Amino acid sequence: MVEFERFELDNGLRVIFHKDVTTPMAVVNTLFDVGARDESPERTGFAHLFEHLMFGGSVNIPNFDGPLQEAGGSNNAFTSNDITNYYDVVPAQNLETALWLESDRMLSLAFTEKSLEVQRSVVIEEFKQRYLNQPYGDLWLEFRPLAYETHPYRWATIGKNIEHIKEATMDEVKDFFKTHYHPGNAILCIAGNLELEEVKRLVTKWYADIPSKEKKVRNLPQEPKQTEFRTKTIERDVPSDVYTYGFKMVGKGEDGFYEADLISDVLGRGKSSRLYKRLKKELELVTDINAYVMGSTDTGMLMLSVHPSDGATLEQIDTEIWKIIDEMKSTLVEEAELEKIINKVKTTKAFSEQGVLNKSMALAMNELMGDANLINTETELYEKVTVEGIQKYAKEILQKTNCTQLIIKAKKNDE
Amino acid sequence: MMNRTLAPETSTITHIDFQSPEIDTLANKVDVYSMRETTDETVRIDFVFDAGSLKTSKIIAQLTGELLFSGSADKSSDEIEEAIDRLGGFTGVEISTERATISAIGLREHIVTIAKTVVDAMINVNFNPKEINQLLQSKKKKMAISLEKVSTQARRAFLSDLFNNSPYGDLTQLEDYDEIDQKDLIEFHKHKYLKGLQYISIVGALNDEDLNAIKELGNQFSKDEVTTIDYDYSYTPNNIHVEKEQALQTAIRVGRVLFNKQHTDFIKFSVVNTILGGYFGSRLMTSIREDKGYTYGIGSGVAQLLETGYFFISTEVGKEFKDLTLEAIKAEITLLQTEEVSETELSLVKNYIIGQILEQSDGAQAMMDRFISVETYGLDFSYYDKFIKEVNEITPKEVKDLANLYLNWEDFTVVSAG
Repeated sequence: MVEFERFELDNGLRVIFHKDVTTPMAVVNTLFDVGARDESPERTGFAHLFEHLMFGGSVNIPNFDGPLQEAGGSNNAFTSNDITNYYDVVPAQNLETALWLESDRMLSLAFTEKSLEVQRSVVIEEFKQRYLNQPYGDLWLEFRPLAYETHPYRWATIGKNIEHIKEATMDEVKDFFKTHYHPGNAILCIAGNLELEEVKRLVTKWYADIPSKEKKVRNLPQEPKQTEFRTKTIERDVPSDVYTYGFKMVGKGEDGFYEADLISDVLGRGKSSRLYKRLKKELELVTDINAYVMGSTDTGMLMLSVHPSDGATLEQIDTEIWKIIDEMKSTLVEEAELEKIINKVKTTKAFSEQGVLNKSMALAMNELMGDANLINTETELYEKVTVEGIQKYAKEILQKTNCTQLIIKAKKNDE
Repeated sequence: MMNRTLAPETSTITHIDFQSPEIDTLANKVDVYSMRETTDETVRIDFVFDAGSLKTSKIIAQLTGELLFSGSADKSSDEIEEAIDRLGGFTGVEISTERATISAIGLREHIVTIAKTVVDAMINVNFNPKEINQLLQSKKKKMAISLEKVSTQARRAFLSDLFNNSPYGDLTQLEDYDEIDQKDLIEFHKHKYLKGLQYISIVGALNDEDLNAIKELGNQFSKDEVTTIDYDYSYTPNNIHVEKEQALQTAIRVGRVLFNKQHTDFIKFSVVNTILGGYFGSRLMTSIREDKGYTYGIGSGVAQLLETGYFFISTEVGKEFKDLTLEAIKAEITLLQTEEVSETELSLVKNYIIGQILEQSDGAQAMMDRFISVETYGLDFSYYDKFIKEVNEITPKEVKDLANLYLNWEDFTVVSAG
């Protein structure tokens, strides 16, 4: 049980406090309700570029990192298609330093040309390092626009291409800040061996005078139901082929999400999963295979990732995958198999909540999804899933017309 | 109106409480370390063997470790995996140069059964040729992918140059996966697993009965003398370039053979390293990422091996920035050697380092990790008191002197790949 308190400031900032007496550290986690899905199709990669700029100094404090490190703390941030999350971990007695720094950059950034110029090139190098200069690094850059036609999930967090990042201007940076970075669009989670009254006092002290703004109503083009099988083959300079399958499914928080998550576990999580046992161990058609769900807020995807064995053909592998899928649709999963995957979910959840930082992030994320207390009730939601429910959603999701397939072929280097 | 330009008061950490695990020694001389005061249901049990990759030829250690759950005379690999999965359990296999750590992970209610399954599989493994072959195929494929990365290419060239006289530099090659003799695996398993258990560490709220059950499992192994390593760590610095024509970035590794925490200068050199490249605000990050934008990240560190260690600087930069980056690295090192660090910067780094030690000791698993990381080198928790004291005491002059002693460009091997 992760206990917590909630309070809200007049400017709309929502605050979650979790008391953890076992740790000497305190966490300040700030989640902004903005991600790559909120970008203009002409300026993709912007939410992530902006995350970098948040470290370039704020209106009253020239350097974000220095004072936090001086206080014995460390920090980082990440951007996803749905959210942008910033966190600081400091010795509990220096909590106020983190609040001072975080509140000032929520108030306003310094917006220096130098910072924009440098972070543009840093992000371009990040783009190269993680997406272009790695074997299979551009997999998601290729897969997303194939699977999504209208929803902004059709581009990756890093952006569609480097040009979008090169062209970002200071006016756009300021505009993005105005629209998305304000108390009403944030959830602050504070955790550590602290007292609620003291936390309230400090948060009020540093955040109460940040002006409130209207929260922008999100009106994204939703993805229409997929009605045809999509497949694309690309050649890359990689040592071996990789096949990726994606099946559209509901977003996190919608009915059927937990069923879909467990379907992916039955299919391809770990060494006792159905695809692994059949395709790898028994038939030796693949050297690796696994399944998982994306966990995005809007229309998500159940993914299969396949590394074929040398000599195995796409046709053989595809046929065997569909056999296993058809079995999921035609025959109820045994109760014992469902119990097994729920046990794995429980273990994973218990370990993922270790540490005050993980708990803070999960509380903030769950609050954004509607209720921070989901951290305590989620396991029950998994336990409520029935074998009939699994079959129902397997029939719905695991259809050929709902499937997108990307084949990456290894270029043959005949010299 | 509040003055937001003024930083709140901070207080520095002067002392950290380290909590030692309970230590029991089994009849076979194997130590069992346990941290049982935890606040959740998770349990992790590590069985640590004298079975690292240096204790045999090349990939035998890796394969033996990864095949431990591949089946025995009466159980197939599927049955073993199923038995562990059914209880929500996970296993871990980590092979370092010196040791092999085999982990049983799960929730308290099932952990003893999971650990029994793990130990039973480990003891009775029969190295079925089909399983060996499947693993070889999969590992060979993974390695071929990894070898495409400039970061891998640079790291490999760097290590094989630094340790060209010892097995640390003797790296696995793709063709090593082509033929394996089952007998080598059986032999290594017999000596280094069945007779090579070094210690067991347990983190989780086990009751006495469960703890005793785990101890009994430990008694099924024995503990022979550790194979000692005595190699020649002398080396000649070199400049090496690995060409990859179509690469968009160049990976850079710069460094030298140095020492591990047993050396008297280790702690104070850690401060020098942190200033140079050991944290986000370091001089290398400030210059090469935050000022010049050549890279997504750059860092330096001291990697510790059981009997030695090495210092390294590591980054991936735009291909056109390679020479500029090397110049900038050199300039930062020269600056450390010629000008004393300001009290402001030094005090920031001291506070940061001690804050990190506090964070790295947060929680039972972290505390166990701290314990193991001194125990491995024959030290105890007093090392951390000494650490905090030496970090707090280091002067700008000492930083400069240590930079002059250990960070000379002519002692460095410089590798680029891309």
